[in-house]
Amino acid sequence: MIRKLLIANRGEIAVRIIRACRELGIETVAVFSTADRNALHTQLASEAICIGDYRSVDSYLNMESILSAAIATGADAIHPGFGFLSENSRFAAVCKTCGITFVGPDSSVIERLGNKSQARATMVAAGVPVIPGSEEVILSEERGREVAAEIGYPVIIKAVLGGGGKGMRVAASEKDFTVAFQTAQKESEMAFGSREMYLEHYVQNPRHIEFQILADKYGHVIHLGERDCSIQRNHQKMIEEAPCEALSVTLRAEMGKVAVLAARAAGYENAGTIEFLLDQNGRFYFMEMNTRIQVEHPITECVTGVDLVKEQIRIAEGKPLSLKQEDVILRGHAIECRINAEDPAHKFRPSSGQIKQLYLPGGNGVRVDTAIYAGYEVTPYYDSMLAKLIVHAPNREEAIWKMRSALGEVIIEGIHTNLDYQYDILNDPAFEKGDITVNFLEEFSRRQEQQKEVEDDVV
Amino acid sequence: MLSDFFKKTPRNYVTVRVDTPKVPAGLLRKCKKCNSALFAEDVRNHGEICPKCGAYFRMKADQRIALLTDRGSFRPAFTDLLVENPLQTAGYEEKLARLREKTGLDEAIVTGFATIGGIRTAIGVCDGRFMMASMGRVVGEKIARLVEQATKEHLPVILVACSGGARMQEGIVSLMQMAKTSQALRRHGDAGELYISVLTDPTTGGVTASFAMLGDVTLAEPEAMIGFAGPRVIEQTIGQKLPKGFQSAEYLLEHGFVDQIVPRGELKSRLQTILRLHGYKADEPENNVQKDEAPQKAAAELKSVSVGKRKGKTPWERVLLSRNRERPVGEDYISTLFPDFCEMHGDKLFGDDAAVVGGIASFHGRPVTVIAQMKGHNTKELVKRNFGMPSPEGYRKAKRLMEQAEKFGRPVICFVDTPGAFCGLEAEARGQGAAIADNLFLLSGLKTPVLSIVIGEGGSGGALALAVADEVWLLENSIYSILSPEGYASILWKDSKRAQEAAQVMKITANDLLELGVVERVFAEPETFNKETMGGLVKELDASIAAFLERTCGKAPEELIGERYARFRKM
Repeated sequence: MIRKLLIANRGEIAVRIIRACRELGIETVAVFSTADRNALHTQLASEAICIGDYRSVDSYLNMESILSAAIATGADAIHPGFGFLSENSRFAAVCKTCGITFVGPDSSVIERLGNKSQARATMVAAGVPVIPGSEEVILSEERGREVAAEIGYPVIIKAVLGGGGKGMRVAASEKDFTVAFQTAQKESEMAFGSREMYLEHYVQNPRHIEFQILADKYGHVIHLGERDCSIQRNHQKMIEEAPCEALSVTLRAEMGKVAVLAARAAGYENAGTIEFLLDQNGRFYFMEMNTRIQVEHPITECVTGVDLVKEQIRIAEGKPLSLKQEDVILRGHAIECRINAEDPAHKFRPSSGQIKQLYLPGGNGVRVDTAIYAGYEVTPYYDSMLAKLIVHAPNREEAIWKMRSALGEVIIEGIHTNLDYQYDILNDPAFEKGDITVNFLEEFSRRQEQQKEVEDDVV
Repeated sequence: MLSDFFKKTPRNYVTVRVDTPKVPAGLLRKCKKCNSALFAEDVRNHGEICPKCGAYFRMKADQRIALLTDRGSFRPAFTDLLVENPLQTAGYEEKLARLREKTGLDEAIVTGFATIGGIRTAIGVCDGRFMMASMGRVVGEKIARLVEQATKEHLPVILVACSGGARMQEGIVSLMQMAKTSQALRRHGDAGELYISVLTDPTTGGVTASFAMLGDVTLAEPEAMIGFAGPRVIEQTIGQKLPKGFQSAEYLLEHGFVDQIVPRGELKSRLQTILRLHGYKADEPENNVQKDEAPQKAAAELKSVSVGKRKGKTPWERVLLSRNRERPVGEDYISTLFPDFCEMHGDKLFGDDAAVVGGIASFHGRPVTVIAQMKGHNTKELVKRNFGMPSPEGYRKAKRLMEQAEKFGRPVICFVDTPGAFCGLEAEARGQGAAIADNLFLLSGLKTPVLSIVIGEGGSGGALALAVADEVWLLENSIYSILSPEGYASILWKDSKRAQEAAQVMKITANDLLELGVVERVFAEPETFNKETMGGLVKELDASIAAFLERTCGKAPEELIGERYARFRKM
């Protein structure tokens, strides 16, 4: 039994967790930095305790301070939320050492899945498909060509020490390989002083599909369907949908089975997410497993009717899952838009300041998860997400209409937001058609710019 | 506040705790400085330094030994001494037994032999976990035996102090350990061996008043608390609040009792440097240092530069040149001639005078003591150096370093550049005249060669205190005088404005001094003389100093002292 739970996080996820605890009759302890004295999570929890300076390293990432707060308030569990310490295996381990229940998997699991090569090896051993790639470091073009043929074109050639797109080239077919390899290797030599390369099968225009997993400590593992999180800007998700229109019933069942297999292989417990890349031919590859609650969990809650945070707490208390795989039925379609304090007109730079006026929509099938209120001061120190607007409707078309309607109602005055940008996406014909890949936003922005030029010319 | 409006979660249970979460012992530690809770593991992996604020935690003896000595080289010694209970203090033996069990130590100090950068040393390290490393009979005995063994084997001694002082349970017997350790160190010192004392937090009481403060070289860790009486005792006695930073390592440095404050991470390499500069060599030399013969040959060909024919400058112009701010100062000669210079601070009496810098260095492979009067190139530097006017502390620091040079057989090289000793109330109160006189006295009998080079102003007694030397050299536009031309004019003619005229008649330029036999050599200066153009002169000095050392280092002390006597006797 958890009687008092400390939330080692801030913002809307902290509020989300506090609400779940209130419903479960669990007392809550909020922790806050000096910048968050007036934050909603600080105000809403049964108790609140300051854990340090505004800098994350001194507060929300300060394990020693959070641990001390838990001991001082007598909390018997800690929910890490997402970000901050949520996937820090050491934090999980230290909680355990102190006799505090960590709401999440065991530290060893976090560590194993957090290590890219270890996670990959675990999945390969379990028979989970991963993106085929070279097992060894490639130095010569000849060897590279052999390996490329084995893993199948198109291939991407990457520098072992690479980063920032340097030393990275795609070869669409064998005839492109020589040029691509030589250029990539030369770039790598120039930028990193290394000729060491590796190859991977290049998944063209994939979708980012992730499966929600729940697992208890009695070996029950189920999945709660998928989320399509392809709408991303620089790997930051902006819009998520559940379910994914591109998945047939059989493909969903197959991917779900693999997701469960992957979670089992990792010895997983609690809520987690398996990320896949899905190519246009219905082939899918394991990317990574997130060992925490996700930002976009509400859309899964909408279509499954399962309260994931409550389920997390129950699992942490040692209770068995409250449902079986066959109880999971996906109903309707849900979309989430992330409302961020950022300025699309200026390369999405973060915006801060006081919220002068606030109006949030409601009504049938509309859910808003947020921690802002009128008069709240948005600081520049943390993540720029202000709110998550979630709609749930019987099908995708109606969900899109509902989201357009809801987005159109939102009023946030005092700071810049991406509301209009989101509104434009929702009204984009390609989006409406469901023509979505991870490159969607890049193409969308290009289309917008072109249109703007046309308009300017008209003027 | 919003929370005033929110309704609270109703509690639907009664709290009956079975297993309250708690932090297991040893998981967290607290930093005394920044008050942060820290994982003990992180502190350990960070060399017992707070990862958040950089404050130092105390180190266990084995950690310290691992930090300071070559890996695997430490061999403990004198671990089997019997514990006694001289005063039959109740419970004392049990307490010792418990501590021995808990810490795995036999007593509050670990002693033994190890190499540091290949140099064999006798080392003792206090461990505060054992009764705050207080000094009872066994601690005193271990130190005494270590030092005695070191004396026998001609090894340097390093003692790392961290102690609450005497051990109360052993009463007067504990007090006697102060004498015992001091005696052992005296014999070691008399045998010409080096003792380096490393002061760590805290070093207090009878330990401070004995072995900790007897180092030839005293190093301290930053912010370490070092003192004789504890701060609480002092506060109660004098009824005053103590100032911040009182009894810190920095306070001691300022007051002249510590040679250097060394960050923990640099301690080993610093020890190694100091050992090397005292002539201790690695058991298996890593590379055979070949003596450089070339400069000596070059030096032999050099002749004294007579600048008599180089006319064109009036004495007053030379006075002004000698005071030019662009002119290279002591620091510039040290950094070019002695790149491995290791500065030693303080007079071990009162303070550390920035107008005199002293230390040890190697010159063509030979350890030397370097002492320089310091000016500066800008106002900030000049203020810091008190415009090159030394206080008694400066002369006493020089004296202390000269005495050490004699003990370790190092020649002394002085750079003279001062308008004169500082004229001030404090300087008089602390015996400026006596301090200068002491140096003349000491140098008159110093058993190692002494060379003085006047690089700028050689102002009166303030300059002579570093210039009772075997040879005195002068740079072309340096001056050396009984007092400044302004002072001369003021005393003789009651008009300091007639300084130019005074300069004319005082015979203070290189030419005059060479003729008077006050200096042996004069070195030509480039037309524009500054840090950038000093290269040629430095090269010439380098060769000439090498030749001087070659000439003098082989001489017997009596011969050297006799010649020095004769040099001044004829004036």
